[in-house]
Amino acid sequence: MKAMDFNSGKIPVWCPGCGNFAIWNAIKGALADLEINGKDVVNISGIGCSGKMLNHLRTYGFHTLHGRTLPVATGVKLSNHKLTVVVNGGDGDGYGMGVGHFIHAIRRNLDVTYLVHDNHIYGLTTGQASPTTDRGLKSKSTPHGVIDEPLNPLAVALNAGATFVARGYSGEVEHLKELIKEGINYNGFAYIDILQPCVTFGKTYSYEYYDERIYKLDESYDFTNFDNAMEKIWEKEKIALGIIYKKERDEYASLHPQLKDDILVNSTGKLRDILEELEKFK
Amino acid sequence: MSVITWKIGGPAGFGIMSAGPMFAMALKRSGYSVHGYPEYPSIIRGGYNNYHVTFSDKPVFSVYNRCDILVALDKVVFDSETITKNMIVIADFDNIKGTEDLECKKVNIPFKKILKDNELPDIVKNSIALGVSAKILGIDEEILFTLFKENYPAKVLDMNISAAKIGMEFCLDEMKFKVPKGNSNFKDNLLMTGNEAIALGAVKAGLGFYSTYPMTPASSILHYLAKLEEKYGIIVKHTEDEISGIIMAIGASYAGVRAMTGTSGGGLSLMTEGVGLAAITETPLVIALSQRPGPATGMPTWTEQADLKFVLNISQDEFVKIVLTPGDLNELFYMTFEAFNLADRYQVPVFVLTDKFLSESHFCEAIFSDNGLKIDRGFIFEGNSEAPMEFFPRYKEVENGIPMKSNPGTPGGLYKAPGNEHDEFGFVATDSRTRIKNQDRRFKKEEFIKKELPLPRLYGAKEAEITFVCWGSTKQPLMEALKHTDKFNFFHFSAVNPIDWEKVKELLKDKNLVAIETNYTGQLASVIAEKTGIVIKDKYLKYDGRPFFVEEIIEFVKRGN
Repeated sequence: MKAMDFNSGKIPVWCPGCGNFAIWNAIKGALADLEINGKDVVNISGIGCSGKMLNHLRTYGFHTLHGRTLPVATGVKLSNHKLTVVVNGGDGDGYGMGVGHFIHAIRRNLDVTYLVHDNHIYGLTTGQASPTTDRGLKSKSTPHGVIDEPLNPLAVALNAGATFVARGYSGEVEHLKELIKEGINYNGFAYIDILQPCVTFGKTYSYEYYDERIYKLDESYDFTNFDNAMEKIWEKEKIALGIIYKKERDEYASLHPQLKDDILVNSTGKLRDILEELEKFK
Repeated sequence: MSVITWKIGGPAGFGIMSAGPMFAMALKRSGYSVHGYPEYPSIIRGGYNNYHVTFSDKPVFSVYNRCDILVALDKVVFDSETITKNMIVIADFDNIKGTEDLECKKVNIPFKKILKDNELPDIVKNSIALGVSAKILGIDEEILFTLFKENYPAKVLDMNISAAKIGMEFCLDEMKFKVPKGNSNFKDNLLMTGNEAIALGAVKAGLGFYSTYPMTPASSILHYLAKLEEKYGIIVKHTEDEISGIIMAIGASYAGVRAMTGTSGGGLSLMTEGVGLAAITETPLVIALSQRPGPATGMPTWTEQADLKFVLNISQDEFVKIVLTPGDLNELFYMTFEAFNLADRYQVPVFVLTDKFLSESHFCEAIFSDNGLKIDRGFIFEGNSEAPMEFFPRYKEVENGIPMKSNPGTPGGLYKAPGNEHDEFGFVATDSRTRIKNQDRRFKKEEFIKKELPLPRLYGAKEAEITFVCWGSTKQPLMEALKHTDKFNFFHFSAVNPIDWEKVKELLKDKNLVAIETNYTGQLASVIAEKTGIVIKDKYLKYDGRPFFVEEIIEFVKRGN
């Protein structure tokens, strides 16, 4: 299949120049390169502009409530661990409402690819501050300037025990596509924070801003070293793109003896013999 | 007919909740029908725990206020219980001050001395008490010791058996209590809690996924299913919170697995958004709700039926939901089983309501059989391998408002399940025609569900001075009270929504109706008024965290109201 075969046929309603177009292309390209059939892919999206990704992919999809992408993904993946599950959420969705689920999904090491469209602002609700918005920024919900310290989501992930932590940029589609491919191929929770300019409300984090600061991690970088990763995550002036930390760890579904032989979907909804249990109540 | 009640009490940590149910089972195996009712505070050690067993050679349904034999393991029992003249009280009277003038029949068992002389630890005090109780009631010691074997780890088994034997030796013939002889009528009956009946109904129905956060009194559904998960190939998850609990179950159900969540009112408050999500995505979901008193954290370990209207009105906007209100073990088992069929067939959220009293008490009227049990997964798209990447009209009506479901992985079944209003393929749509079409279609299901759900059933004589109207667990005390008086009969609602209210209206007319519910406002009565226009003025309501005791109902009826 080609990337364009993953078009749903629905015309996107993102603003012209929105980073979502690039993320969309990267996802389609990754699926095509990996030769995954769309019928075996579930795209789970939250609320916001990132959530609209769902409409534009020729795959199965579940558009859940704000912040609730990862619990849906967990239910789907444990029920049918042969599916490829790609989760799309924004910084508001994933780091605000969903931050608890984020940490617990990391603990579980569920085999899904989690793409967070991080534009440091709430786009669809017309420009309020998000958990990753810098201090001082004046927004509709913070007219006197943000006084909360911004969340460093990659640091949160690393400290929570994440074993695939990466950063992509919607201005670097090919690079992002490769990252998503790595994420899908990773046997566990692949978390990719995607820097994405919001051309309408996020004036600070423009393409120019990122283009001046980003650099790609090359082969000399050892992503298995936790301390290296921490250092990269807290860099001030430059922004590293690529796999920042990666380590092998048991994937969640594999730890369930119930799922050893078959997917759960095949054993459910059949009349069970419970006589042995009933005897214990006599 | 003779009904005997035995109660064991002491501080939390004294093994009341293991001794009580074990003794209830010993009585069942001795040929009695048994009901066991636990009371306990929400603390690990201390406070006052008690377990109240009612038994008879005829079926028993519910708990009496009266206590014939009281086992008091500690002074706290005397602070909490009313001791009457006719009671037999088993206690270490030598060591409990203030009991000298009590007029009850005292069975003095020197627990403290026995433990000291035999170098036994405090924790076997409950086994001494069970030995005494077995002797007094003429229970075969082998029955008791077999239960010990089933319940205690090998390393403490002998210690408990010898403790019970010492207890037995302390009993003199004159201490014996006259009981009717047990019979074999209850041999095949199951003695279990309501939550166990729910869990087994779900397992029987092919449950694949149960996810929730622990909350009393629903927690034991989670515990029991977790114990069974590997054996039956079920995924059981204790999630980070209730929100995740319900949303995970929705994800599992979307993927094609039979999924359930369970909680109490506080947890359901968090799950509310998820109920709406299940509704608009038409994802089948079963929700077991075990009610307890109070908004917020309320009274965690006590009972109330005050979440009916919460469930009926749950989540924003209007949508079809099924609300089942079973009243006994059989109804819990079969209705939970059927809840999965209803959820799959109609693709709506299905609630199974219970409460602490029904969830955690032991009942023994149940005999579950396979007869007539059938699985219905509803309309499921088999796939089209010719066109694997085609979108599928998932939300197009197939029959009676019901669309066809397609599980992810099915070729040609691609669709989107959105929390937003959507078109046939699941793409977000906000045009007025689509909205109206969808609402009309989804509500169409109600007419057909209505025909499937049971109407309120009349128990007792056809005509009576008073006709109680109840739902859920209140069936139990009313059944028991019926044994003592024919002045009342009662309607029990084992389902509340959606049911045929025109027919209900027919059933209820021209009767001296009294609403009997464990809540402050009479929630079912208010629903009946809304749906039928019948205003039940007389209400017998209780909201102290306790179920109706049988004597209270008899008193109420006697007063003639």
